[in-house]
Amino acid sequence: MPPRSSSKKKTVPANAGSTDDHSSASSKAKTKKDQIDQLFDSYANSSIQMIDPEGIEALCSDLGVDYTDVRILMFAWKLKAEKQGYFTLDEWRTGLKALGVNTLSELKKALPELESEVRTPPNFADFYSFAFRYCLTEEKQKTVDIESICELLNLVLGSQFQPQVDLLIQYLKFQSDYKVITLDQWMNFLRFCNEISFPDLGNYDSTAAWPLILDYFVEWVKQKA
Amino acid sequence: MSNQKKRNFQIEAFKHRVVVDPKYADKTWKILEHAIDEIYNHNASGLSFEELYRNAYNMVLHKFGERLYTGLVTTMTAHLKEISNSIEAAQGDMFLEELNRKWNDHNKALQMIRDILMYMDRTYIPSNQKTPVHELGLNLWRDNIIHFIKIQMRLLNTLLELVKKERTGEVINRGLMRNIIKMLMDLGSSVYQEDFEKPFLEVSAEFYRGESQKFIECCDCGEYLKKAERRLNEEIERVTHYLDAKSEAKITNVVEKEMIANHMLRLVHMENSGLVNMLLDDKYEDLGRMYNLFRRVPNGLSTIRDVMTSHLRETGKQLVTDPERLKDPVEFVQRLLDEKDKDDSIISLAFNNDKTFQNALNSSFEYFINLNARSPEFISLFVDDKLRKGLKDVSEEDVEIILDKVMMLFRYLQEKDVFEKYYKQHLAKRLLSGKTVSDDAERSLIVKLKTECGYQFTSKLEGMFTDMRTSQDTMQGFYAKYPELVDGPTLVVQVLTTGSWPTQPSATCNLPAEMSALCEKFRSYYLGTHTGRRLSWQTNMGTADIKATFGKGQKHELNVSTYQMCVLMLFNNADRLSYKEIEQATEIPASDLKRCLQSMACVKGKNVLRKEPMSKDIGEDDAFFVNDKFTSKFYKVKIGTVVAQKESEPEKQETRQRVEEDRKPQIEAAIVRIMKSRRVLDHNNIITEVTKQLQSRFLANPTEIKKRIESLIERDFLERDANDRKLYRYLA
Repeated sequence: MPPRSSSKKKTVPANAGSTDDHSSASSKAKTKKDQIDQLFDSYANSSIQMIDPEGIEALCSDLGVDYTDVRILMFAWKLKAEKQGYFTLDEWRTGLKALGVNTLSELKKALPELESEVRTPPNFADFYSFAFRYCLTEEKQKTVDIESICELLNLVLGSQFQPQVDLLIQYLKFQSDYKVITLDQWMNFLRFCNEISFPDLGNYDSTAAWPLILDYFVEWVKQKA
Repeated sequence: MSNQKKRNFQIEAFKHRVVVDPKYADKTWKILEHAIDEIYNHNASGLSFEELYRNAYNMVLHKFGERLYTGLVTTMTAHLKEISNSIEAAQGDMFLEELNRKWNDHNKALQMIRDILMYMDRTYIPSNQKTPVHELGLNLWRDNIIHFIKIQMRLLNTLLELVKKERTGEVINRGLMRNIIKMLMDLGSSVYQEDFEKPFLEVSAEFYRGESQKFIECCDCGEYLKKAERRLNEEIERVTHYLDAKSEAKITNVVEKEMIANHMLRLVHMENSGLVNMLLDDKYEDLGRMYNLFRRVPNGLSTIRDVMTSHLRETGKQLVTDPERLKDPVEFVQRLLDEKDKDDSIISLAFNNDKTFQNALNSSFEYFINLNARSPEFISLFVDDKLRKGLKDVSEEDVEIILDKVMMLFRYLQEKDVFEKYYKQHLAKRLLSGKTVSDDAERSLIVKLKTECGYQFTSKLEGMFTDMRTSQDTMQGFYAKYPELVDGPTLVVQVLTTGSWPTQPSATCNLPAEMSALCEKFRSYYLGTHTGRRLSWQTNMGTADIKATFGKGQKHELNVSTYQMCVLMLFNNADRLSYKEIEQATEIPASDLKRCLQSMACVKGKNVLRKEPMSKDIGEDDAFFVNDKFTSKFYKVKIGTVVAQKESEPEKQETRQRVEEDRKPQIEAAIVRIMKSRRVLDHNNIITEVTKQLQSRFLANPTEIKKRIESLIERDFLERDANDRKLYRYLA
């Protein structure tokens, strides 16, 4: 049998103009989207169609970042993730698109930029608030227990306000008036760190609108001194 | 007739003979000059007024006014110079007399001269802007006599010397003084002021400075004030007698400054006689004098007021923190009322009912009454005592007076809600034990409280009265329906509406069989007529009257609490009962049971029970017997323990806690009310507004308000503003 000389290559008929670009663009887009989706699938738990904590752990190790690193929290923020420990496909797509990345290596490179983006003041307040709400795992839950708050404080504010955070955590563990923290109190912690001079706390006015827990905190600090 | 020329009538002025005589002016002047001399020599009687007038008139008419005027000046001046010499020559006392006499002469002369020269006065003088004759005469007198070097100082010194003499008690010639001073006044107010008044005031200041120094060293406050008052009155009198009325204010200022203003603080704080001593000893006259004198000087009254205020606060503080006083609440309140009465008297009798002093009194009372956190409780106990027995046999008006005074103290309380709580408790006890002396008095006080604090304060109290009345009707209905029950034990039930009466934890208790059957019958009767209600017996609040016959036949009627009745009835079926048996049978809570056994076994005169061992405390293994040897000179013996008492420490804590709990919803309601109308408000303003709204009930604590705000934020009633963290926003 004579060998087939030339393999019949199916060539796409060269059509003129935009249709060609469009389809190639759309095919490129389709490929990108596919890439994002594929990346999603590689970590997702297929039975629930979401990336679960195990998947996130895997993602972290691939990114070379610790599971408890604040950058993962920032990543969750970028994704506008709703449920702690889980990413949906929509969230994944939103996030990666916003970051402008498609592959794992691109994502890895984008992390430092993400961090500096988050740390700019308007974003940081939003991120800070997100961090709290992310901890509200039960439906109708409005408060977070002290233990978790302490960890969260360290994670989120530690690098910027270490001394305040250390003292605050010490106090929160010591006091017994409050067993949980509300969003209002949480937001005021940030405000406290930003506005009040440390360690003297000289410009703190207890007759102003600070939450009571901070009044007690300041009193406790002053007594220790 | 045609030849006659017609002539108009002309009336011509009567022309005087034309004066040709060149020496006319001199001659005429000489006549007038001579006349002036004569006048000054008291020889005026020989002169013809008409002739002189005419001469003067002619001179002016013929344009010799100037000559006349200058002549006048010269002549008069010459005469005055002579007069000044004669005055100067006068010795000693005659000096003033001479001056006075010459002044009178001069005035008379001046009058005559003016009359003569009236035409000049009216024509030449005004048109040439010359000084009129009369004024001229005064000015010349001033310049040549008063301001004559040899007279000026001497005059002043003489006058001042006389004043000094009078001040040291000598009598002087006041009429003469008056005339001289009047002379100075007539010469012009600047003469009076420069030549007399100013130096007079300076010398007076010095005099009083010295005198005040002397007095303050040797007199006590009351005496000093008397002297100062006397001096002040003297000076006022002096002015009316011989000085210009306008000097009164000035000289009184001097006295006030030197004698009062300069020594104000020293007087007020003088040891043993100062303001505080006067207040303590009710020295109304001295205090009144001090008030009248001090009100004349700047800061005088405020000085008195400040010292009085700090004294009151100190006294009051001691009153309310003295541990001795705190043992008897009724005594405590009575002392406060006495203090108020005393201070009110002082203000009305000595301080002219001055409103600022009244305010100082009020603020002081408010300050120290609230220093003691038990004041509300004690005032309620005082009222309780009065309404139980203190007002027996007191007339209706006097009752009103006492209650009004109590209301005054009530107004000073910052924690009126604490008072309300105690008042309710005490009222409940009074109503239930039937121990109130006068229903009218009770109601009158409620009305007063309502007027003061509004309807909400008293609505529950009124509810309590209503319940009592309704219960009476219910009992009547009950016995009407079951007339056969009249033979058994008489039951009196008071049905209390839960919300109105102070909450009591209802405890268990096993009633004796006869009673429990009766109670059940009542319960079904009541629920028959009032469906949907629930009744629970409050055995810890009831009383009972029991007829008892003791060992030797002595009969007594015992008035006891329900618990005590349950215990006693057990002895109908047993001679001896142990503590444990009693506890089991009655199921009364241990602490109450112990208390009730103690009151029946360990109190002299009320020991209807005997206990073995005879110790004061109730032990678990004690045994009880009826005390057959019980005696009392009264047939009716009261053993109940339902009287309102000063709370024990734990009870006090509990009440306080309940008050604090009640305050929380009130604070929240106030916050919500305010935020609903304002929509957005900043932190400090919320605190202020809430405090103001709650003021009539209690003093709201800013920290507590903050807590409530945070709680409201958590429950999504409020939120913090996103941009300005000091603002709160109302969430509809």
